[in-house]
Amino acid sequence: MKKFAYRYIVPALLGVSTLVGCSKLDEKPYGMINSQTYYKTADDARAAIIYAYSILPEVGYYSRGYYIITELPTENLTQKGDAGVGNFELDELRTTSTNPDLDNIWTYMYRGIARANAVIANVPKIPGMTDAERNQITGEGYFLRALHFFNLVRMFGEVPLRTTTIDDASQIPIAKSPIKDIYTQIISDLQAADSLITQPRISEGRANQPAAEGLLAKVYLHLASSKAAASPGYDFVANPDEFYAQAKLYAEKVVAGQSEFALTPALPDIFNIDIYKKAAVTEHIFDAAVDRSGDREGSFSKLPNMFLPADRPMTIAYNQLKPDSAKIDIGQGWGHFRTESGVYFSYADNDRRKTQLIVSSYTNNGQTYQLDISSSSRPFTRKFIDPARIGDATSANSPIIRYSDILLTYAEACGPTADGYAAINKIRGRAGIGDLQPGLSVATFRNAVIQERAWELAFEGSRLFDLRRTNTMEKVLVQQYGKVITSGAYFFPIPQRELDTNPLMK
Amino acid sequence: MKNFIARCSIALFLCLPTIIVNAQQRKITGKVFDDQSKPLPGATVVVKETKTATVSDGDGRFVMDVPGAGKTILVTYVGMQTKEIPLGTQNDFTVNMQLAPGSLNDVVVVGYGAVKKSDLTGAVATLKGGDLNRTPAASVDQLLQGKIAGVQVTTGGGAPGAGATIRIRGASSLNGSKDPLVVVDGYPWGDAGNLKQINPEDIESIEVLKDASSAAIYGSRGANGVIVVTTRKGKQGQGRISFNTLQTVSFLANKPDIWRDPVEDATFANEAAINGGAIATDVPYIGIYRPVGTGMVYFPSIAELRGLDPNKPQWPVNTDWVDLIYRHPYSQNYTLTADGGSEKTKYAISGNYYNEQGMVIKNGYDKYTSRLNLEQKLTNAVTAGTNVILAYTKATGQQLGVGRSRIWPVYDSTGNYFRTSNTDFGNPIALANQLLNTAKTTDFLGNLYVNFRINSWLQFRTSINAKSGNSVQDLYDPKNSTQRALDNKGSYGSIANGSYFDLLNENYFTINKDFGKLHRTTLVAGFSYQKTENRFSSLTGQNFVNDVMQNENLATAGTMLISNSLQRFNLASWYGRGNYTFNDKYLLTLTARADGSTKFGANNKWAFFPSAALAWKAGEEPFIKQLGLFSELKVRGSYGLTGNQGISPYQTLDRYGSNKYFTGSVFETGFGPGLAGANDEQGRTIVGGLGNNSLKWETTRSLDLGVDMGFLDQRITISADYYIKRTSDLLRLKTIAPSAGYDQQWINDGKIENLGIEIGLNANVINQADFTWSVGGMFTKNTNKVVAMGESNQVFIGSLYESVRQQISTYTVGQPMFSFYGYKTAGIIQTLDEGIKAGLTGVDAQPGEIKYLDIAGPDGKPDGIVDSYDRTIIGNPNPDFIYSLNTNVRYKQFDLSMQLYGVQGGDVWDFQKMTASRWLQRWTPDNPSMEYPRANGTRGWRASDLYLTDGSFLRVQNITFGYNLHTGAVKFVKSLRVYLSGNNLYTFTGFNKGFDPEVGESGINNGAYPRPRAVSLGANVVF
Repeated sequence: MKKFAYRYIVPALLGVSTLVGCSKLDEKPYGMINSQTYYKTADDARAAIIYAYSILPEVGYYSRGYYIITELPTENLTQKGDAGVGNFELDELRTTSTNPDLDNIWTYMYRGIARANAVIANVPKIPGMTDAERNQITGEGYFLRALHFFNLVRMFGEVPLRTTTIDDASQIPIAKSPIKDIYTQIISDLQAADSLITQPRISEGRANQPAAEGLLAKVYLHLASSKAAASPGYDFVANPDEFYAQAKLYAEKVVAGQSEFALTPALPDIFNIDIYKKAAVTEHIFDAAVDRSGDREGSFSKLPNMFLPADRPMTIAYNQLKPDSAKIDIGQGWGHFRTESGVYFSYADNDRRKTQLIVSSYTNNGQTYQLDISSSSRPFTRKFIDPARIGDATSANSPIIRYSDILLTYAEACGPTADGYAAINKIRGRAGIGDLQPGLSVATFRNAVIQERAWELAFEGSRLFDLRRTNTMEKVLVQQYGKVITSGAYFFPIPQRELDTNPLMK
Repeated sequence: MKNFIARCSIALFLCLPTIIVNAQQRKITGKVFDDQSKPLPGATVVVKETKTATVSDGDGRFVMDVPGAGKTILVTYVGMQTKEIPLGTQNDFTVNMQLAPGSLNDVVVVGYGAVKKSDLTGAVATLKGGDLNRTPAASVDQLLQGKIAGVQVTTGGGAPGAGATIRIRGASSLNGSKDPLVVVDGYPWGDAGNLKQINPEDIESIEVLKDASSAAIYGSRGANGVIVVTTRKGKQGQGRISFNTLQTVSFLANKPDIWRDPVEDATFANEAAINGGAIATDVPYIGIYRPVGTGMVYFPSIAELRGLDPNKPQWPVNTDWVDLIYRHPYSQNYTLTADGGSEKTKYAISGNYYNEQGMVIKNGYDKYTSRLNLEQKLTNAVTAGTNVILAYTKATGQQLGVGRSRIWPVYDSTGNYFRTSNTDFGNPIALANQLLNTAKTTDFLGNLYVNFRINSWLQFRTSINAKSGNSVQDLYDPKNSTQRALDNKGSYGSIANGSYFDLLNENYFTINKDFGKLHRTTLVAGFSYQKTENRFSSLTGQNFVNDVMQNENLATAGTMLISNSLQRFNLASWYGRGNYTFNDKYLLTLTARADGSTKFGANNKWAFFPSAALAWKAGEEPFIKQLGLFSELKVRGSYGLTGNQGISPYQTLDRYGSNKYFTGSVFETGFGPGLAGANDEQGRTIVGGLGNNSLKWETTRSLDLGVDMGFLDQRITISADYYIKRTSDLLRLKTIAPSAGYDQQWINDGKIENLGIEIGLNANVINQADFTWSVGGMFTKNTNKVVAMGESNQVFIGSLYESVRQQISTYTVGQPMFSFYGYKTAGIIQTLDEGIKAGLTGVDAQPGEIKYLDIAGPDGKPDGIVDSYDRTIIGNPNPDFIYSLNTNVRYKQFDLSMQLYGVQGGDVWDFQKMTASRWLQRWTPDNPSMEYPRANGTRGWRASDLYLTDGSFLRVQNITFGYNLHTGAVKFVKSLRVYLSGNNLYTFTGFNKGFDPEVGESGINNGAYPRPRAVSLGANVVF
């Protein structure tokens, strides 16, 4: 036996033990890529920008979260009785740092920034691409980063300004930046985007030059009007008129300097998926794009369900002013958002944005039901519908920059000039409410534009920022609509999770 | 152990020729049976005070000539209690051997070897396979409940094929696995919980390695304790075929507490709607039509339900859903075994069919297992063997609710399943008949080993072990049949495939050497290499044209989803153990293992786990012996390190995520930083993917102090242990600043402490030939505490419960794991004034609502407002202690055994608290209840101590009555045992009477699958 042991066992043992001892126990991931294997080819660059865009229609961002954050605090929307506590805090303007909805959108915006940073940091280094494509993709990265920071600064004010990719946990602690620095970065990013992006719109859901210019116009207008109205946090702006001029300059490029986007004449057509997704000329300059064939919420949108009442499947006339127009089945929703009487009664009775874009009655099984603004099933906006929905999956894009928004930006930047009046009156004319009273003062004219924006862009996430930048949160929401503001009037509290985990935040 | 038996037998055979034949002798015959009433070969029969002896043959028979002086025979067998039988005038004897629980010569299987029980230094508990309850069980896990001190077994319900949660000395990990390691015949299989591949009847013994000294040999997988399962092997000198069967009928143990009277149900629903502020037409039962699909459904009025509406007949429907859904399920279990062996070959072959019907219709579980165990002595020094197990399981159906209103019929007037709205997915008969839900698994496990006896003191053993298997789950929800179907664009079909492969090579030396009479040593040293690969893929289809093909052709779906993944990891290990015994009184054990794992970060690939144990057999000291009190007295102490590597592979690496975005005509795929993981409790994606090169194992430092005592020649044995387990470097998902674009990163950080006492007791009160009575029991008290979690003081865990819109379970520093978090309450508000004074507003302050307490505010003091600041720790689901009592009486051919199992303390969060009988006692202006709130359909229930109920219970777990027939009455049959076994017979508890108080580790009653009361008729036949 001893011989056997020496002859077979010992060598075998030595062999196996060497194998065990020398195996490095290195780990190779399966089914995943990482920094070692990515950002190498032109296709990687294209995938990188697609990934950066794909944050937009996520549930926590433009498929639901953005509307919760920006619409509930205003006179536009409130929420159903059993909604989460975060909704109630927003609706009642008493947000706290533990608000789950604010935490959610904060997270999604910074995820978007991380993805955009990865594009900006890596794509310029990828070989084997044409300069045009490399610039285009990098430019779109700059556009997205600017969009996220513009949303962040308007919601929270001073926030961490992250412009580099994170490779190690040691990079995580970072202090807040002053609002001024954040705007400097946003403007620089959008100017870079404006110069790098050269192609016409590649597809729905992708940004081109008018998107970058339109957003830049909105940024300048926000700065200018905030300073002019002495809105909190914007003391640093030296001369509002200079920024009004910049806003006008960039808005004009969109209003007059391109032919891809224009006003859609008939209001229901603006929100007709078949039209705005396919037409050569559309009002949707930039959307978070979705399609009902997607595999999950975020690829498709359930946003319509947030608005549609839950009672029963609904059929409405395509053009509610023409009862004999085509009937469309729009299904039923969750009735999560409830239209407030504030916005509902603010419209003139003949305003088509009320008569055509707010649904006040529907039919089911041949029976007509009226929706009551004081009940739980209230009139609701028809901006977000998809008659061809599959179950809960809809193709309703979330508009981020709409032509009429930039046209009104232009009007506000111009002030009561002929150009300014022409711009606002185009909007009013389409809505069927006649021209704005001529000869208004600068301030009165601009207030009229703000009111026009409230009607035109209702439920699209514009109102809160318009009130903030005109320093009228108290004036409008408290004095006019009887709300009580406890906290977060001009800037929401930064989420507690960030405060707890980022040691440099105070 | 086998060697020991063999040597004893040979020695005895050698003695046989020396038996003196006495002129006055007489001839006696007999048959020896083991505790399972199976013939026991190799038992030694000695005539007391003589040298006359024999050994029972392969059929357990013995024949011997007794000298005239012989008055009594002694029957002995290793591991069994010695039987003393007076001879009297009888000439034919039946000897029923009993397991000797405290036998000091018992051999205990520990990792990489076995030791005599008397030589144990660590905390190791043993359970013989024969001590498992005879009740239908798909796996052995749930049968361990109440059997072993220090081991807590909880089952979350009685679903067919369900496993159990096993915790040894408490839970000690936050995010890693809390399950013990299961080792079967020397092969570490993985986490305990559902050991379905092993037929419980094939189990010879189960050893539980509880302390660091015994578990450290399993290193980075030992921190949760180790369960060592040893399967039955063939024994030399016997050849037998046995057939076991168990036929079971089950009953509902808890009568569902649901609405029995449709009028009461409807009255309550209307009252809830009105109190909830519904407009008149939204009150449900008022006699109107409401739209459903393309038609309308009529909702009767209460007068109509009562038959008091002059214009309508009495409502004709009163559906008994309980009767339609629950049944008296019939379950079957058959095992056929052949085992035996010669000097050179030992074999055991067995096959099992297990069929369990669920309490719920169309729900069941089938299992087929087979096992081959073969050992061959190749030469005097070389032995080779193999063990092969095949297992197949199939589960069908699902749990169904019975709480649906009796007002509604099963079918509508057109013969379709009746629904009350387009989103009414609650018709259980529709679900039972429409949904496809089957899961099948196949497993193959095998090993091959060679043992070399190199010389008298040195052995080497090498083995190759492999296991592989796959699982397939088929699901189909037809059009608009479920919320899942709706969420998946109408209809949902899927096929989920899983497969695994695991390969292990073990090599170790064993040295047994004595140096002189005083020094004994045993050394084990070896190394192993294990590779594991788990693969998963899933095919999903949404939005099918029709339901004809179910999930048979997923490519025809409107939308197809695919996912697949693979995990692979390797573990390389060196291990060793040294036992040293001085003068058979002082024992020292040193154990260590070094594990290298691919799962660990690049900076921490190798982990080292040492431990040491000391034991003093005080009972061997003359001054103790003089007392004449103890037959055994041993004091033990151990300290050491064990680990837990319970993380998934790749967590140390940076990984990118992917996502799709619609660009006009197609979805394009993108990649980049941020790997989307599972959704969190709020339904949003948790993003990880940031690497951590330093990630490593969790380390548990354990101290164990124990004493083993035996009295009256081991007829009474007590084993008691005190332990402290401190786990550090907890694998924890650290929440990182969301502004980084990531939510979480795996890190090592945090501490948990478990300390406790466990006591096991056994007493053979009566031990006579015809009459035995034994009593055993255990007591376990464990105290668990989260000591630190890095930067967080509290993390929420578990599901977000929609009804209270928060997570209710937490890990909170300074509190036990799973502590409940919510509001405190003080009964029910009686007046509006009282409600407003309590700090409540609006509807919440109305009489009949729940009086939540204002205990804090933003600065920690009550601020007159009940809001989220008033939430605090309100309960602890961990029991104060658990205990069990077993007793076994045997009289002649009859036996009767009983097990009681109890859990004391521990809160249950009872989401089912408001049962129908309690709603009947609800607050109304006429019935100012302080206990139950008013009906309110839109109440925003808050997570509060209103839901908490004491979960203490004492359960009559099992009573078995058996009869053993083993004369030669039936030809070819060596023995026959028939028995009647009742399981889960009665539960003493103050808990919600509609439910079982045992609800699972986290203590949440969400209406689990009912645990049946089972009555079984079993038979064991040996041929």
